[in-house]
Amino acid sequence: MSVTRTGEPGMAGLLARAAAAEWTRMWTVRTTWWCLLAAAVTVVGLGLTFGIDVGGDPGGAPPAQLAGEIAVLPGQFALLVLVLLAVTPEYATGAIGTTLQWTPRRGVLLAARVGMPVAVATAAGVLLALAADLAAWAAQPRMELSFPALAGSLGSIAIVLLAGGLLAVGAGLLLRSTAGALAAVFLVQLVLPFLLPAFGVGWMSALSLLLPGSAATFLLLGEPDMTTASAAAVLAVWSGGALAAGAWSLLRRDAA
Amino acid sequence: MVQVQGLTKQYGSVLAVDDVTFDVEPGKVTGFLGPNGAGKSTTMRMILGLDRPTRGRALIGGRRLAELGEPLREVGALLDASAVQPGRTGRDHLRVAARSNGIAPGRVDEVIAEVGLGPAARRRIRGYSLGMRQRLGIAAALLGDPAVLLFDEPMNGLDLDGVRWIRRLVRELADEGRTVLLSSHLMSEMQQTADHLVIIGRGRLIADASIEQVLHGEGARQVRVRTPAVDRLERALARHGLQARRLDDRELLVEGVPAGTVGDVALAAGVAVHRLAEESSSLEQAYLALTGASVEYGTADAALTGQVLP
Repeated sequence: MSVTRTGEPGMAGLLARAAAAEWTRMWTVRTTWWCLLAAAVTVVGLGLTFGIDVGGDPGGAPPAQLAGEIAVLPGQFALLVLVLLAVTPEYATGAIGTTLQWTPRRGVLLAARVGMPVAVATAAGVLLALAADLAAWAAQPRMELSFPALAGSLGSIAIVLLAGGLLAVGAGLLLRSTAGALAAVFLVQLVLPFLLPAFGVGWMSALSLLLPGSAATFLLLGEPDMTTASAAAVLAVWSGGALAAGAWSLLRRDAA
Repeated sequence: MVQVQGLTKQYGSVLAVDDVTFDVEPGKVTGFLGPNGAGKSTTMRMILGLDRPTRGRALIGGRRLAELGEPLREVGALLDASAVQPGRTGRDHLRVAARSNGIAPGRVDEVIAEVGLGPAARRRIRGYSLGMRQRLGIAAALLGDPAVLLFDEPMNGLDLDGVRWIRRLVRELADEGRTVLLSSHLMSEMQQTADHLVIIGRGRLIADASIEQVLHGEGARQVRVRTPAVDRLERALARHGLQARRLDDRELLVEGVPAGTVGDVALAAGVAVHRLAEESSSLEQAYLALTGASVEYGTADAALTGQVLP
């Protein structure tokens, strides 16, 4: 038995190790791959379908990046599930206790646990959206493909996924339950933003504009009626709030 | 070396661990003993920094675990063998551990061989028996070649081979000069494994002593005497300053003296003795004597012994 002992690494080294451990954690369970597959099928499939569909339109073809924006709207949920499943299952099994034995500095664990899944989900979403744009354009080359517009679109998608990922990881750390966190994220990201305005009651519609799902939809599709500033503010408040609550839960509460 | 100093954990109005102080010395197997619910696991979780103590602290090699950047090189622990992600393979589980502490990946296959997990390491943990999970947990504990090892009820659910293997392993680890803390609710198991005992009941420290001290200490010197004249013998014993407890209308229990003394007192008082027995000094009985008053849910003796002798 021999383990080489070097001096303890500094903060950057500890963060790098925690991030490497999170990376290995993500890719050594099947759920990550299933979520990515689901996201790929949804986003690229919808993009391609969009391209084929607009081919039948006699009018001017829409810009290609619209394919990715439309496809990410439902496709983001596979990525949000991916992020959640990097956090919550450890609370069901008690594995969080094992994790904290290996990385007892909770701030270090928090940074890695938030950063790695959200980065992976955001990067995957942006790449899949790009693939969706190209698939649509390949199916219908009449569509306009402009690189500045494409870059701007992918930037918006990155912001939406980043905000959604932080919301999911924060809810997961706070609620410590896959079902609970999933329900919470789906409610504010999908169900309520579409359900509330459907009643046609003024205050309900106004309320829906304060939900992160509405802001995400606005950044992707330009509706409902918001401004970029208000959408950004709504996303920042929700993601920041969820992250702060999740951080408190990991840093201050007992492990499990 | 593990130092537990005034450790206290309060959940609402319940004191799960109440001002517990003890040291775990290197080179010995220290048994951490107590009935279920006595606070053993909570204490170990606080030593590992998983639960926040209400008061007090626990130090490993002079430092709190939460300060350690490479904890696996200082302390290896197996708290709950089921606290792992079932969808990962055993080997991947250990790879994550190695990466998190900057341990060379080659060490993973070394500990897999050391605990005898073999080819099962490449299967998903979902399909592991409890014994295999215990071995995996011990493999993770050994990964960083730590000087301190904590095992919470490692023999639970193991077959005889597994139990023997753990006994041998903890003995070897202690002989290598490591600090080994091993919890159990089974006195008989400790008798075969531990050099030193820390006993807690209802969250309080009851004893911190060597096996020999516990064996020959409280509870060992009890004499059961049966006589048709219980009242007279009780009075005679009292005249000699001996405390006797009446078990029924024919039997007394005398503490703190050998059987001969009780026999002599009976003879001097002219009382017939129908049975005179020194209670055997098994660790089990000493343990019961020490913890009997502190079993949280103990209602009857039967329930108590049922808990200790499953």
